[in-house]
Amino acid sequence: MFKTDAGEELFIIDGHMHLWDASPANQANKYGAGFIGCFYDYHRNLSPPDYVWEAPLFQKYGPERMLKDVFVDGYVDMGIFQPTYLKDFYKNGFNTTEQNSALKERHPERFILNGSWDPRDGEAGLEYLESLVKRYRIPGVKLYTAEWKGNSKGWKLTDPWALRYLEKCQQLGVKNIHVHKGPTIWPLNKDAFEVHDVDEVATAFTGLNFIIEHCGLPRLEDFCWIATQEPNVYGGLAVVMPFIHSRPRYFAEVLANLLWWVGADRLLFASDYAIWHPRWIVDKFMAFEFPDDLRKEFGVSLTMDVKKKILGENAARLYGIDIHGRKKELAHDAVAAGMA
Amino acid sequence: MRLPPGWRRTGSDQGSGMHQEEVYGQLAKVSDPELDQPLTELGFIGGVSVDGSAVTVRFRLPTFFCAPNFAFMMAADIRERVSELPWVERVEVQLQDHFFDSEINGGVNGGKSFVEAFPQLATDDLRELRETFRLKAFLARQERLLRSLLQMGWLEEAILRVRVGDLSELPRCGEAPDPAERYLAILEERGMAGDATAPAFVHPDGRPIEAVEFRATLAHAHRTRLSVEFNAAFCRGLLKTRYGGADQEIAGCTERGRPERLVRRVAE
Repeated sequence: MFKTDAGEELFIIDGHMHLWDASPANQANKYGAGFIGCFYDYHRNLSPPDYVWEAPLFQKYGPERMLKDVFVDGYVDMGIFQPTYLKDFYKNGFNTTEQNSALKERHPERFILNGSWDPRDGEAGLEYLESLVKRYRIPGVKLYTAEWKGNSKGWKLTDPWALRYLEKCQQLGVKNIHVHKGPTIWPLNKDAFEVHDVDEVATAFTGLNFIIEHCGLPRLEDFCWIATQEPNVYGGLAVVMPFIHSRPRYFAEVLANLLWWVGADRLLFASDYAIWHPRWIVDKFMAFEFPDDLRKEFGVSLTMDVKKKILGENAARLYGIDIHGRKKELAHDAVAAGMA
Repeated sequence: MRLPPGWRRTGSDQGSGMHQEEVYGQLAKVSDPELDQPLTELGFIGGVSVDGSAVTVRFRLPTFFCAPNFAFMMAADIRERVSELPWVERVEVQLQDHFFDSEINGGVNGGKSFVEAFPQLATDDLRELRETFRLKAFLARQERLLRSLLQMGWLEEAILRVRVGDLSELPRCGEAPDPAERYLAILEERGMAGDATAPAFVHPDGRPIEAVEFRATLAHAHRTRLSVEFNAAFCRGLLKTRYGGADQEIAGCTERGRPERLVRRVAE
């Protein structure tokens, strides 16, 4: 909960968080070491100095640290677990639904537990998706199109098998499809950050919501275009938000574009914890105003209403969270008791 | 010859000074296709060794997982540009600390095309991808110049009357690199600067921008430029985080209303 100077309480849902194990013991190969090294550089590069961790802690921080950082220190009321399996890089996976479920079971009211699927798993994967729904009632999935599998270096949402999985999601009520738009490296001769496959599936599956993590950066122009065409496409602000600290001007320009093209109702706050700590991001975001020239050029402003939507209301709508009721429940839960 | 800024920073240079300067001069002509900035300015060159007629160029990227297609393009361009020097007989490119480094180095140094190097992973060579990003670079450079003219108080009608031949005569806004020079260079590269009396501000297909489409064109190009610059800022920061040491930044035209600063912090 973030309390403004005027005493107003803002309900905060962190749209993208992880509890990973990337310790050397779990790394399967040089790719596992390289992957967490890459995350660690993101972390070191964009965090304020006080929030930079030592590498071993960053590789494996554990559930207690996460609860404290996120809910006690980080203003967050609820968090969405977005799994990233990466089983080719990590022996037990990087951050799987099963691993995340342990914390979800301990604090069911604090977490939204998403699943994941990979169309290259064929029929067996469809069964796995069904089992995730049965076992955890997952309301959404995180898809990672750049993930390696055997000889395959990635896939597209429009692949025939991917369409079958999306159909299955629609059928099972798994409504929120978070898509990481990062460097898919297959096929290598195409633009790695292409977002056009989202356009096609968003039109084909109007019963699903597509949340594009990182807003398709660095292909902002393509993402904005798609989002204006498709009412069920949303922007996840992980990786965008931390620029508020080191590059406030870029942050302002990107956000002004997103508000103008995508709108205040379709943007979701996310820290991408543990890459970045939500506390400083929320603090800086609450204090942030657009520079005059952008306000004039885009006709947008960061009012308290807009901030509320981005920080919690939009995610609450997508995931069917009644903010008022949930606030009451959370006021007395185990995590809240720990804060006192 | 104008040396690329900061080229002396690399600690691992070996060999004779004259030849090395020439190699750096050639490397300054190689750009990151996504960021539209020379490798020498981005800090991607880790060192150059000259041994008689053999040149080795060490080359590094901001992350372990940087897109291998662009890495391949840059590696191939390095080889091609350095090979243009008359005294050079052998060039070896060493991409370092990258998940695909041995594959890329093997392919490029073996003189293979992209499809030959990665028959399973590529369906075509990189021409189309390269062109996609040259178009983005065109829009981004155009937007930067348009915006700087607007900031200097130019009216839209006056801007649209600018001819190709006028570009080198435009008043300078103090930004570095100079937006007009950069825009003219990409017009020349694309063979669109032949007629000095032709309108300077055109769509990528050569059609002049009309007054009614000025604002929309600018807004579209703005998002392209923002993506390119956002990416460049992220990459520069990550490279510095990864390798430490020198940070040299040539900011984009983003701090609007202020003249562009050229920040150069050289470690050591």
